[in-house]
Amino acid sequence: MGPGLRRDDVVGAPPMSLALPAPRARARLSATPGQIALALGIAVFLALFLVWPSATVIYVAFTEKGGGAFTLVNFVDFFRTDLFLRSFWNSFYVSAMAVVGASILALPLAYITSRFAFRGTVLIQTLGFLPLIMPPFVGAVAMQLFFGRNGSVNLLLDDWFGFKIPFMEGLNGVIFVQSIHYFPFILINLSAALRNIDASMEEAAQNLGSSGFRLFRRIVFPLAMPGYIAGASLVFVKVFDDLATPLLLNVKDMLAPQAYLRVTSIGIADPMGYVIAVVLIVASVAAMALSALATRGIDYSTVQRGGGGLSRRVLRPYESVLAYLTVTLILLLVLAPHAGLLLLSFSTIWSFSPLPDGYTMAHYARIFGESSLYIKNTLIYASLAGLIDVVLGTAIAYLVLRTRLVGRDVLDWAASAALAVPGIVLGIGYLRAFYGVKLWDGTPLASLWIVIVLALAIRRLPYALRACYAALQQISVSLEEAAENLGATKLRTVRRIVTPLMMGGMLAGFVTSFATAAVELSATLMLVQSNSDAPLAYGLYVLMQSAAGRGPGAALGVIAVLLVAVCTVLSHFVIERGRAMPQSGH
Amino acid sequence: MTAATANRAIAVPAVGVRIEQVNLSYGDNHVLKSIDLDIRPGEFFAFLGPSGCGKTTLLRLIAGFNHADSGRVLVGEKDISALPPWKRDIGMVFQSYALWPHMTVARNVAFGLEEKRVPRAEIGPRVAAALELVGLTGLDQRRPAQLSGGQQQRVALARTIAVEPKLLLLDEPLSNLDAKLRVQVRRELRELQQRLGLTTIFVTHDQEEANTVCDRIAVMNQGVIQQVGTPKDLYEQPANLFVANFLGTANIVEGRVIGDGASRAYEVAGGLKIPIAVDRKLAPGARMVFRPQDCTIIGAGESAGPDRTEAAGTVSYREFLGASVRYGVRAGAANIAVDCPFHAGDTLHEVGTAVTVAIATSSVRFLSD
Amino acid sequence: MHRLLMLSLCAALVSTAAFAQAPAGKVTVVTSFAKDVTDPVKKAFETATPGVTLEVQNRNTNAGVKYLEETKSSNQVDLFWASAPDAFEVLKGKGLLQKYAPKASGIPEKIGQFPINDPAGFYFGFAASGYGIMWNERYVKANKLPDPREWQDLAKPVYYDHVSIAAPSRSGTTHLTVEAVLQGEGWAKGWGTIKAMAGNFRNITERSFGVPEAVNSGQVGYGIVIDFFAFSAQASGFPVKFIYPTVTTIVPANVGIVANAPNKAAAEAFVEFLLSPAGQQVLFEPGIRRLPVNPDVYAKAPADYPNPFKDPRLNAMIKFDVAKSEARNDVVDVLFDQLISFQLDSLKAATKAIHEAEAALAKKDNAQARALVAQARELIAAMPVDEAAASAKETASAFTGGKQKGARQAELEQQWAVFAKERYAQAQAKAEEATKLAK
Repeated sequence: MGPGLRRDDVVGAPPMSLALPAPRARARLSATPGQIALALGIAVFLALFLVWPSATVIYVAFTEKGGGAFTLVNFVDFFRTDLFLRSFWNSFYVSAMAVVGASILALPLAYITSRFAFRGTVLIQTLGFLPLIMPPFVGAVAMQLFFGRNGSVNLLLDDWFGFKIPFMEGLNGVIFVQSIHYFPFILINLSAALRNIDASMEEAAQNLGSSGFRLFRRIVFPLAMPGYIAGASLVFVKVFDDLATPLLLNVKDMLAPQAYLRVTSIGIADPMGYVIAVVLIVASVAAMALSALATRGIDYSTVQRGGGGLSRRVLRPYESVLAYLTVTLILLLVLAPHAGLLLLSFSTIWSFSPLPDGYTMAHYARIFGESSLYIKNTLIYASLAGLIDVVLGTAIAYLVLRTRLVGRDVLDWAASAALAVPGIVLGIGYLRAFYGVKLWDGTPLASLWIVIVLALAIRRLPYALRACYAALQQISVSLEEAAENLGATKLRTVRRIVTPLMMGGMLAGFVTSFATAAVELSATLMLVQSNSDAPLAYGLYVLMQSAAGRGPGAALGVIAVLLVAVCTVLSHFVIERGRAMPQSGH
Repeated sequence: MTAATANRAIAVPAVGVRIEQVNLSYGDNHVLKSIDLDIRPGEFFAFLGPSGCGKTTLLRLIAGFNHADSGRVLVGEKDISALPPWKRDIGMVFQSYALWPHMTVARNVAFGLEEKRVPRAEIGPRVAAALELVGLTGLDQRRPAQLSGGQQQRVALARTIAVEPKLLLLDEPLSNLDAKLRVQVRRELRELQQRLGLTTIFVTHDQEEANTVCDRIAVMNQGVIQQVGTPKDLYEQPANLFVANFLGTANIVEGRVIGDGASRAYEVAGGLKIPIAVDRKLAPGARMVFRPQDCTIIGAGESAGPDRTEAAGTVSYREFLGASVRYGVRAGAANIAVDCPFHAGDTLHEVGTAVTVAIATSSVRFLSD
Repeated sequence: MHRLLMLSLCAALVSTAAFAQAPAGKVTVVTSFAKDVTDPVKKAFETATPGVTLEVQNRNTNAGVKYLEETKSSNQVDLFWASAPDAFEVLKGKGLLQKYAPKASGIPEKIGQFPINDPAGFYFGFAASGYGIMWNERYVKANKLPDPREWQDLAKPVYYDHVSIAAPSRSGTTHLTVEAVLQGEGWAKGWGTIKAMAGNFRNITERSFGVPEAVNSGQVGYGIVIDFFAFSAQASGFPVKFIYPTVTTIVPANVGIVANAPNKAAAEAFVEFLLSPAGQQVLFEPGIRRLPVNPDVYAKAPADYPNPFKDPRLNAMIKFDVAKSEARNDVVDVLFDQLISFQLDSLKAATKAIHEAEAALAKKDNAQARALVAQARELIAAMPVDEAAASAKETASAFTGGKQKGARQAELEQQWAVFAKERYAQAQAKAEEATKLAK
């Protein structure tokens, strides 16, 4: 659950200087040969599929246009150009405000569901995840239909009261949409953190006379802070890097859209796009490092043996009404894009009216045939990507938390840095890096669908890594030592003890990777080589490019959301069952 | 299950442990300093010391979870320093028990046997035997979370014993149990150890635990072994102030040496003065040490007797302990704890009254750090 | 993927054995056209040419060009198929297209004033499109707005905040619209018209499709679009209307064979199909609605279908100079971005102030105020570069990285942005002063 850039002092394995005296025995080595091989393998993978492709793109930022000479003048230009500085500031402002907006949405949900005996907890946790699996394009499109200048809400407001609210105008519109889209990151992390606070922490405070909001502010929230910061930094970075939403709202003076516009501009070899990409990467890494720094030393895992998280209070009737009202309002708001999408997929014509003119199934009929191909491809790509992510995530988490291997932190950082590489940069990088690589029959490597899977895996690796990291962190080292003590080798211990105990976290990581990879577009757009290899998001992109109405696109969007939601719920089910098992009888 | 099967675990011949010149540092923090130790076969041995003294580190070093910067660990004359934990054949019971929550009790206990490639047919009986040994027969299908603390502790023990280790390591095994249970379990532990004849090392910070269970104790402080000996040796002849103070209560009084030859004496500011035998050597800065029960309060006019040293003072506190009463007597610069046996009908000295303390001169030792 | 490849390889082998030279196998096309367009064409083409499957890779024009550039070392694409002729010019310039002489007959040399095929033979027009104004009738009715006839109409105060356009740097078609106005009215006057119109823009979208979408859904009233967007929206039942203003141009949408096409025979077959009467008729599909380049096909057109070969209005349109357009392509795009797209807020503020001043003047005239408003309009219309400088090699090389080292692109952009920003602010101040005087 943490941003994972934190290091912790594992019991019995304090961070240790590696400048040990020359080892007399093999056991004094910092790691076993197997661990070293694993680390090297991961390093090669990351270098090949993340660092190298990104580098082939980024180096343009450091070269003179037209020539190839090394120069830093492009960066000077960046800081001399008003537009870029304005964009930088806007991106920063929007990201920060989106964190605020997302917090406003997430805090009540997390608080109510983890502090009170509240009926809809599971529903909220599930629905709260939905905004994350909104495919690109359709989210903002659906929001326009409801909240746009002439969307349903404003048309009705204008009709009844004669005024409109500019929800979707300019930067505020971006903040509005992004808050709704990314608040689950905070909700998920904060809920997990709240659940991990031992009841005795709260009881001790009550015992000393603290209660109500003061108790929350002084004890509960500080203890949940690492979770909150983890979520908030993720929201910040995602919003900072997102280009689709601002562009759909016609906001161009932000960094990510500027980078995109320049990188994809026709016939113009403009290094500034890549300069901005470098700035984006640096800013994202800085944000993540800052959050790691902020959580360092305040991250307490307080659940003790037998402790069961915060005690849940039963709500008084009026509180219950208030809670349900709040939750309903927030859910209505965050699910508006999905509702809009659903409505659009069934509508004949929806133009300048609060609701569509009529309803039809024609859009579903239209896409029925081709959608099965997209669904198949999406399932294959996203689940393979999720699988790769979980394997890599577990391996990296293990190396970081359980070994003293030199440079293990570098792996962690490199994998997390994937979050900061804009999808478009990775996409172009893959083309550059792998198009020249030919297979035995002359097909370029980049034209195989497996390359899409690799790109998706790299893009979503940070999510899975965080989940695996958190899961491993929660396993007491003594559980593994006990196994070794009883004769199990490292490998057997991982198989018999670590893996089963991490299963919940690994599944959570898989679901996050899978669900978000299933709707990823920015990197895949560059890499899809033919319609028969195209995933859902690409099909959506194609269908949405139609002046003849977006009904078919919306229908495919609904299918995408349903597909991912079903898979998510299924895995959730599995996780819950797995989690319930060891605690049965309690 | 018969006792014969249950006692199969005895089949291992007891081994000794030798630790030679072991050093270990974490960065600048020198955790173990030139540790030398000899543990005899079949011995129940304790590492005793305050938290942070390095006792758990030393235990984990024997188990193979920590690695020494220099020095060797020999088990049964064989150097095991280079072996990974899973090849050492040393059983360890963790302070947290480290029971795997995703496995049942039986699976937990069977784990080590499975890893040691014990034939499948043998595993069942041996699990049952181990559980019987710790008195948990019938709970084999429970999960750890469904057990009480005491039961969890026994599962951890059964799991370790089931693999018939050469050496048993216990890391504060009683610390998570309540006081009553602790007394009971430590007796059982002792009994089991005696029955199996298994060389056992017990880490604790509780001197009473160490004293009651163990044959010999190594007292540790700040990464250094202060003294090794039987509980009685340590109590009667502590090697230094730390040992004297850590085991039981001791009066430690600071004073100075006056005179020489036959008139040499140790004098405490404000009155107390004790003669020092001619042949006794005193380290510079040594302090006077004696136990509360080696002194008593005598009535006015009563003679202290030949082997006693007297000191006049006033009662500064009084603690009624049932079998005895502990008085604090302020005599000059010293505040002396005195234990007086209590018998029904005895009258107690009130705080503030003037009394005389008589100290058994032969029990007084002069120790330094 | 691999299996598919093997299959098509086998298919290719079998068919080469049977009929030498006959097109077969997979032919890959990169296109900016929507599924609405590609699906019917694909279906018709595959029926007409058995044994060939059309693989459609949908990318917007810019991304498509970029893609061909990035992958030229090992090209897997046979055809490039898009609207904007200038994208083909770029590809041609980079040697990414190959020559071909279509065999199809019945297609004239020109449509309006525009040559249908690339004179050098690298790309071929298969459909024509004109630019115009599209609007949402419900929106117009609700806001009680008049119907526009000409580009200049959109500059009127009544349309303030009601118009949308795609950025010419992002949309080949809008670029041509802007270029058409510039060529029709001249550089200075043309930019004046464009900026006066831009002062009324609601937004500037990043994709061509953004405009018809916004008009269809009623988020904006008017959109400057290519005709088929409006036609296909109408065909789907959206309450939208469309007109061609007088200064516009009809330009062909094109197809070209990519250099080193892996399946050249099938690529040629596709070009021939598009130009054949059967291929031309597919353009009448409701989702496509483009103007065929074969005049004879119009006999089978749906009712009220515009015919550029007969319609005098469409025929009288300006002559479009492709070479001129190409020479200043980047400069026009960047000027539009820096002076309009990225300065839209200040441009709109200035425009609004002028509208208010004019409204005040209409009630109570004041010579001094009128002069101020005229100055404000001039300030808005002012351009940092004249026509000659815009086409000059030094300027162009700032964008293409040519040999002549002049100012860097970023420097020019900053210069132009500051130029516009300052003048818009001054214009606003003058207009506000005029309003005070007129009161």
